Formats: sequence, C-alpha cells, structure tokens
Amino acid sequence: MVLLSIYERMNDYPEMFLLLLVGLIGIGGAFPPIMERLRRRKLENSLPEVLEAMSSNIGAGEGLEQAMSRVADLRKDRLGAMFKRALQTSRASSFDAAMAELALNSRSKQIQRVVNLIITASEQGASLKDILFDMSQEYTRLNQLMNKRENELMGRALMITIFISILLPGIIAFMIGAFASPSSGMDVAGINHSLMLFFAGSSILAVTISGRMLGRFKAALWVVPIWAFVSMALYITLYHAIGGTFGGY
Amino acid sequence: MSELEEQKELLYVIRSLEVLMNSGIGLEAAIHSIGKGGYGTISRDFSRILKNVEKGKRLEDELRRVMNSAKAAGYRRLMSTLYNNVTSNTAILESLSTQAEREEYERNEALKKYIEDLGNLPESLLSIGMISPIILGLLGLAPQLMADAGGLFTVPSHSFVMTIMNGGLILTLAVMALIGWKAHSKDPGM
Repeated sequence: MVLLSIYERMNDYPEMFLLLLVGLIGIGGAFPPIMERLRRRKLENSLPEVLEAMSSNIGAGEGLEQAMSRVADLRKDRLGAMFKRALQTSRASSFDAAMAELALNSRSKQIQRVVNLIITASEQGASLKDILFDMSQEYTRLNQLMNKRENELMGRALMITIFISILLPGIIAFMIGAFASPSSGMDVAGINHSLMLFFAGSSILAVTISGRMLGRFKAALWVVPIWAFVSMALYITLYHAIGGTFGGY
Repeated sequence: MSELEEQKELLYVIRSLEVLMNSGIGLEAAIHSIGKGGYGTISRDFSRILKNVEKGKRLEDELRRVMNSAKAAGYRRLMSTLYNNVTSNTAILESLSTQAEREEYERNEALKKYIEDLGNLPESLLSIGMISPIILGLLGLAPQLMADAGGLFTVPSHSFVMTIMNGGLILTLAVMALIGWKAHSKDPGM
C-alpha cells in the first residue's frame, strides 16, 4: 500500500524515476569496488608480517625462494595462496616473471612496490634480510596510519550522509507538512519540487564528500543516485504522512 | 603534475631509496628501481632522468632539472639531496633517513590535522543545509500565508518569491560544496 502510494507520487516527479533506475544499477556497480578494496586491504595488512617472517628465514640462512615457500606453507590466507601460486609459476617460467605476475595479480600498489624492491635487491646482490625487515617496519607504520584514517573518519563520513540525506529531508518535511499540508489548499507543488531537487543535490554532495574523506571518491559515485533518490522519496513521503497527520492549518 | 601527487608518493620513495642504498645498491640502480613504476609521478620523473642520462645528459643536470620543476617542498629537498650526493659525494643515507623521519612526522601531523579539521564538517553542513531550506521554505509559503494581509502591505508575487527561493537553494548548495571542498583540499595524501 505504502509502496503503491510512493509509486503514484513518483509519477509527478519523473527525475525520481530516473534516479531510481540509475541508482539500482549503481548499487550493482558499487559492490565490485567494495569487495576489491576489502581484498586489497586484507593483503596489505598481512604484508608486514609476511615480510618479517621472510626476513627471519633469510637470516637463518635460507634463500629467497625457500623463505617464500616456507611462508606460503605456514600462511592459510590469500597472500600465502598467492605466494604458493607464484612459486608454482616460477617453476615453469622464471622467478622474476612469477614475482611480477604476483605483483600484478595483487592489484595492490604496496605489494607491487615491495616486489619491485625485492627484484632490484636480488639483482644487485643486496642483503635481503635487512631490506625485508626494513620494509616490514615501514609498511606496518603505513598500514597503521591508513587504518587510523579509516577508523577515525568512518563515523564522521557516515554521520554526514545520514544527517544530510535522511535527517535534513525529514526535518523540512515535518515543517512544510505542518504549515502547508496537502489538505490546507495551499499551492506547494512548486516549493516541494524545488526542495526535492535541493535534497537530491545536497545528498549528492554529502555522499561525494564522505567518499572523499575516506579516500574512496570513485567508489562513492556509484551510490550517489540511490542516495539522491532516497532523500527525495523520504521528503515527499514524510510530507504527505506528516501533512495528513498533523497538518490542516 | 600536482603538489599533492608528489607529496603522496614522496615518503615511499625516500624509504625505498633508503632501503635500497642501505643494502649497498648504488644511486643509479636505486633511481632505476623507482623509475620502473609504482610511485606515480615520481616514477615518471625518475624514468625520464635515466632515459636522458642514457642519451648522454649528465645525471646531475637531470637531477637539477627535476629539482627545479618539483612543486612539493619535500620532493625538492629529496632531489637536492640526490644532487648533492652526485656532485659533492655527501652522506646520502643519513640525509635520506632524516628526510624520511621528517616526512613521516609531517604526514602524521597532517593526518591529525585533517581529522581535526573535518571534525565539525557534519555539523557545519547540517547547519547550512537546514537553516537555508527552513527560511527559504517559509519564504516560499509567505505569499499564501499572508494572502489576507494584502491591504496592510504589498505581498510579493508567488513567482518572484519562487525565484528568490530557487536562487537561495542553489546558493546553499554552492556554500555546502565549498565547505565540503576542504575534505579534498586538505587531504594529507595517503
């Protein structure tokens, strides 16, 4: 019943239909970047530990391939599996090519940098034990910093989206609904239309700002249309609900 | 190439150079490693340095060229360190270590400041985003609410009020965008 009434209201606002359609497609598009990011961060967070373990193994007299193999055997996570695959590939091609493939498949800048440094150090005959240990310390600090940014700003980013996309249309719908309810006879169609477009605009801003704060601007763009739609739909639904309940001046 | 782009990759470049050179790898090989990619704009610069060196240009001239074109102060400092090492054989490892610590400290401080600066962003956005539609919404209703007061003073026409309201709402969105811009402009680049 409620859905039907929302559907009927949407007939008056074709832009809402458009936002709903694009928004539903956007929800589908938003999932791959989220999954990809989770996968990449998992790999990156386990990288320092792996580097430190490899450094210890090399310090104990093992070669790079042996150290990698031991780490791959011990670890049951995705990075361990990637190491195993790289070692298998290296038997068919060269170790450097397998490492380059591992770097490429990880799709992580951090891992690509580490692999690049390992290949260079290996080519130059440098002490891999020290290099791996230094890098493990470096990436531990970097990951801590990245996780700190994420943890501290996540709440605020969420608050901006909820405040602007849900709270704001709710408050204004209450106000307009109470002062100029549909039964009051006032002509509020123009005002409602302007306000709905404003809420769509402010929602677009809120979601993009939140995404930028977390360093995920492009991923946030996928959910912009659906949030704009939610904002508009919420306003018009609440306006009619509140106008019908409290209105009547 | 922007300052933010250089700043973003700088710490990793310094640390990588430090790690490589600490293990006995020479400057040119270290530059080659960075130039292979993974460090954005700095990789492109380093790759070009080596290409020009292969063509016969002197390494110090190339380092000076990049130093002069660098936008981020830290990147200029790094290039200056590399240049001094090539021309005067200065102790590069010590300089790199000091620079890396400085860059790391600055980055931590920048992140702390970024988090602090964005602390009041939700409230600022909500304040502007709420006050403006409340005032403008009432203004939009004013001609109808005050229809009976036409004898006392001139009630503005509905179309005039709607123009003011729409203009005000667009202005509010612009102000909200400006407030939100600091989420981008103050990004410490991580």
